[in-house]
Amino acid sequence: MEFFSPTDLLGSSPILALGLFSLIALLVNAFLKNSAGMVFYVSAVGIFVAIGCSIYTFPMNATAFSDMLLVGGYASFFSVLFLVIALFSMFIAKPYLEREQYHYGEYYVLILLATIGMVMLASSADLITAFLGIEMMSVSFYVLAGYFRGKLSSNESALKYFLLGAFATGFLLYGIALIYGTTGTTNLLRIVTMYPQPFNDPLHIIGWGLILIGFGFKVAAVPFHMWVPDVYEGAPTPVTAFMSTGGKAAAFSVFLMTFSVPMSMRDERLMTVLAVLAAASMLLGNWFGLSQTNLKRMLAYSSIAHAGYMIIGIASATPMGQQGIAFYLVSYALTNLGAFGIIAMMEKENGGNLNYEDYAGLGKRKPALAALLAMFMFSLTGIPPFAGFIGKYYLFASAVQSHMTWLAIFGVITSLFSTYYYLRIIVYMYFKEATNHEEIKLPGLTFATVILCGAGIVLFGIVPSLIFDLMKSIF
Amino acid sequence: MYSFAPLIVLFPLLGFLINGFFGRKIKNETLVGSIGTLAVASSFVVALLIFVEMVGSPVEERKHIVTLFQWIAAGSFSVNVAFQVDQLSILMTLIVTGVGSLIHLYSIGYMHGDAGFWRFFTYLNLFIFAMLNLVLADNYLLMFLGWEGVGLCSYLLIGFWYDRNFEKGTTGDAAKKAFIVNRIGDFGFLLAMFLIFNTFGSLTYESVFAQAAGFSPGVSVMFWITLLMFVGATGKSAQIPLYVWLPDAMAGPTPVSALIHAATMVTAGIYMAARSSILFSLAPATMEIVAVVGLLTAFFAGTIGLVQNDIKKVLAYSTVSQLGYMFLAVGVGAFTAGLFHVMTHAFFKALLFLGSGAVIHAMHDEQDIQKMGGLQKYMPWTFRTFVIGSFAISGFPLLSGFFSKDEILWKSFADGAPWMWVIAALAAGVTAFYMFRLVSLTFLGKERFDHHHVHPHEAPKTMLIPLLILALFSIIGGYVGIPHVLGGHNYFEEFLEPVFAGANAKMMLPMHDSAALELGLMAVSVAVGLLGMFAGWKIFTEKPEIAENTAKKFSGLHKLLWNKYFVDEAYDAVIVNPIKQTSDKFLWKIFDVKIIDNTLNFSAKFVEATSNILRRIQTGVVQSYAVIFVAGILFILGYLIVW
Amino acid sequence: MNMYEIIFYFFAFITVASASVVVFSRNIIYAAFSLLFTFFGVAGIYVLLNADFLAITQLLIYVGGILVLLLFGVMLTTNTVNIDIKSGSMNVLAAASVVAALAGLLGGVFWTSDWFVSKQMGELPAQTTSKEIGTALITTHVLPFEIASVILLVAIVGAAMMARREGIKSQIPSSK
Repeated sequence: MEFFSPTDLLGSSPILALGLFSLIALLVNAFLKNSAGMVFYVSAVGIFVAIGCSIYTFPMNATAFSDMLLVGGYASFFSVLFLVIALFSMFIAKPYLEREQYHYGEYYVLILLATIGMVMLASSADLITAFLGIEMMSVSFYVLAGYFRGKLSSNESALKYFLLGAFATGFLLYGIALIYGTTGTTNLLRIVTMYPQPFNDPLHIIGWGLILIGFGFKVAAVPFHMWVPDVYEGAPTPVTAFMSTGGKAAAFSVFLMTFSVPMSMRDERLMTVLAVLAAASMLLGNWFGLSQTNLKRMLAYSSIAHAGYMIIGIASATPMGQQGIAFYLVSYALTNLGAFGIIAMMEKENGGNLNYEDYAGLGKRKPALAALLAMFMFSLTGIPPFAGFIGKYYLFASAVQSHMTWLAIFGVITSLFSTYYYLRIIVYMYFKEATNHEEIKLPGLTFATVILCGAGIVLFGIVPSLIFDLMKSIF
Repeated sequence: MYSFAPLIVLFPLLGFLINGFFGRKIKNETLVGSIGTLAVASSFVVALLIFVEMVGSPVEERKHIVTLFQWIAAGSFSVNVAFQVDQLSILMTLIVTGVGSLIHLYSIGYMHGDAGFWRFFTYLNLFIFAMLNLVLADNYLLMFLGWEGVGLCSYLLIGFWYDRNFEKGTTGDAAKKAFIVNRIGDFGFLLAMFLIFNTFGSLTYESVFAQAAGFSPGVSVMFWITLLMFVGATGKSAQIPLYVWLPDAMAGPTPVSALIHAATMVTAGIYMAARSSILFSLAPATMEIVAVVGLLTAFFAGTIGLVQNDIKKVLAYSTVSQLGYMFLAVGVGAFTAGLFHVMTHAFFKALLFLGSGAVIHAMHDEQDIQKMGGLQKYMPWTFRTFVIGSFAISGFPLLSGFFSKDEILWKSFADGAPWMWVIAALAAGVTAFYMFRLVSLTFLGKERFDHHHVHPHEAPKTMLIPLLILALFSIIGGYVGIPHVLGGHNYFEEFLEPVFAGANAKMMLPMHDSAALELGLMAVSVAVGLLGMFAGWKIFTEKPEIAENTAKKFSGLHKLLWNKYFVDEAYDAVIVNPIKQTSDKFLWKIFDVKIIDNTLNFSAKFVEATSNILRRIQTGVVQSYAVIFVAGILFILGYLIVW
Repeated sequence: MNMYEIIFYFFAFITVASASVVVFSRNIIYAAFSLLFTFFGVAGIYVLLNADFLAITQLLIYVGGILVLLLFGVMLTTNTVNIDIKSGSMNVLAAASVVAALAGLLGGVFWTSDWFVSKQMGELPAQTTSKEIGTALITTHVLPFEIASVILLVAIVGAAMMARREGIKSQIPSSK
């Protein structure tokens, strides 16, 4: 029996590269003193190498390791997305951690390890690899959320995330076991052939239901969303930025891939459940968002609402919906990274300067920063010409295509709610007088990242075909 | 070269971005101005190269579509950002970028010392970018984007000196007026676009026109499409009844008047009609409306111009009137003639506006021609070029305006009706008269200004060079289209004809071979023009009392013309005030404040209050989170099994 | 009721009963020791299911490793030995009702389901499963096997980071 084919090695090359560089980073961190900066560079190089590997394998369309991993196309597209997110969040983190005097090398090592998990998720062609990817990513997140060991809020965040995360993992595993129990395989490509008839076996469909619960937790869909506001608020801001973008994107990539199996049957019950989850997430996320005063918390609820928008794409079970999700993830990641980048720059020690009031008069104090934040808010609201609009348009259109017009209408109405709290920050920035005149320092690295994010959402908003052309070869 | 077409659009965008982001910091006027000018000039060079290649290639291979990227694709609806480079669009591109770069150059001198120098060039480049999108687009949506873009730039530039007063209000009022009136037209265009998509299932020219070829003339949907398009055109191209914004648009800096409100943007309506010629050819009723509206506009705007005293106002009404000619041409199916006039008009009207700008500059922002006179002595070159422009617009034989206007007159007779020709010829006489009244009062006769305060001087070089170049083109610009009866060869028509082949096939215009008739009519119209020119010159240089006496004798008519037929007042009384009143008394105080606000406030309070209550669920206790979690599981599993 | 079923119910009883003690006991030491029986019971069920490898692993890792670790943890944090870990009346009603409903639901499903495995019950595999699992772990499932080790690395790094001493600006009041 042949052991490692070239496809195996190539297919896992992004994972191997990340693993290798995380080990190097770990060793550097262990053997050199004050090496946090060094670890940062090693990790960045590792990410670039992994991006290179992913892009190289993009044209391939294969599986590796006995159909455990997908290679190329879908996997490459999402891997590059996660890697860019990881890179950007590192750029946001470095000045932030230096300012908070918490700059240690382990941070970057954990980011790399979490990214391995994400890449595994996007590449998983088997429920086992999907599960391992989720665990790898989540364990890193648990630790990262509690990275500020001396801060109670950070500890609380980590603990809550860990407890509920472990709880959710149990259901995910249970679901996988039931799928295995009814089909005899965990391989996504084989489940369909093993179980071609409609789902009349309650065990089988409950298996999917339980997997749905596990993923629903990871993407922060109502009613599995309760952890989100507390964890997002308590975690260090760059970690929140990473979790809310990379974590969500990775969870959606595996959610989408896994559910393309049952959804290919267009099972009415699963479609309805997904649609209800989407509607509930959009409604509650936006509704709760209205009464928030803390920006991180507001973005946490917004993240729940956006999970709702994206689940529409899965519920609709059309190529348009799938492409819509992929596009939405790109735009959402750039937008949220940018917004959290700005929050990270504005934040003062011990979680100060996070409320709407603290942004009053920012339009005059830092015009460029205010303009960028306004752009991000517009994009989250879904106003053209920013990328957020195109993504929302595709998702809602996919709902209409799948005869779920009510869901699209519901989405539009709840989006209206969200306008209130997104645009409120703009009102504060431009129409209220500044109360706080402390100097705001803009670290170059973070600021450059934020500008890149802004440029990205404008570019993809005007030329969405840059991404949609890529996706033609994926879906 | 065709594949470089996107560069034409890109350069002004780059100029806009550079000046927009860094203009304030650059602080060096020459640099900012050069960036702006070079951006447009580079586009011109690219367009010229493409033009040269186009002329050198066989007729069938002159049209190319350069797709940049897919813009929107959803279901059956798909629009690309793509440029259609053909004879029509390259002509418009050359006019826009050619005249545009001259006016940019001129602006460096004109705007010297203005606090908003960089802002001015930023807007100007944005305008060129939008205008090029408008003319190069390969579909109606992109065209509409450019259409809205130029409207926005027009608004920004009319109100450029937002702190200055203009007539009864501020420049801001003029800008708002332009914007709102244009919006009315735009709404028509938008509806037309919906109808087009509904009828053809596409917004791309190629597919729409190919399908339209299968229709026969007189289909009612074509009537509505073209009529709505024409409504859009009357807004942008200042035709009755939506022309009222253009005279007020003179509140902007003079280069803006020259570029946007004379040479380029206002011809967008003509371009749209020419581009959609096949649709118009399927709607004979619309064509008739277009012709009549154009004719009336040409005549009435001309008569208003007779008595105005503001140098730019006279030119503004003259622009409205000349645009009327172009629509007359479109209405009788003579698309090439209309576009020919677009081109020559761009030369001489830009020249006249820039000349007037030089005068205003020299007179320290004085615009009243009654307070000028005798400027010939102080600014000889401006005078010479201005006179050339005046001759050209008046249709003096063998200058550019003569060829283009004469072609329109002949077509209005041949393909329209004799009475159209009569009115059009009369309007030409009126044009000649007020133009030479303008020349006489400004440059000739007694000096009526205050020598202590005003020291007229010749314009600087950056302003003179564009004047000279435009003067040259005002003279020779017409030689590309010499009518056959004069033994020439109409290259212009031959070049553009393929674009209108489809429309011509539908209209089946009768052939006219009566050279004698054409020559006779030409002689009459030239005579009328010469008479007008002579009268204008004679009366206002030597016997101004004749004018005063006539004005007194016909004081009612004079008052009517002086007040521009009271159209603004009528609009105010019939449309603006009732709307204001209802919005103030009813819509605002009752409907808005009482009904809408209360509903909105209530729902906002309701949502916020419930949101605050619901928030309590988020207690922060993990165990209760888990309970909700399990409740969710129950729902999902329950639904999956039980139902 | 044959012998097989008697043994099954025996192990099931041990598992469920000791698990109840784990959940309901107010003394953390009792809870920890009860866990031993739960693990043991589960291992017994594995044996009944012919999953010999799993049963051994269950004993080695859970009983031998995790439980010992747990007890060490309890013992070493001496001052918590006599503290109630259960927080009285927190959401008892809500939790009990949703859990009961969930249990009923799952029970109903198991009762009515057509089990995939049950069809093959008669024919027991001739050899032990260890060999098959071992082969799978280094052939078809080599990737998950290796990745699992990386997850352990993540856990170690995380634990090490949590435990590092230097430079803490603590908000947390020290316990002593």
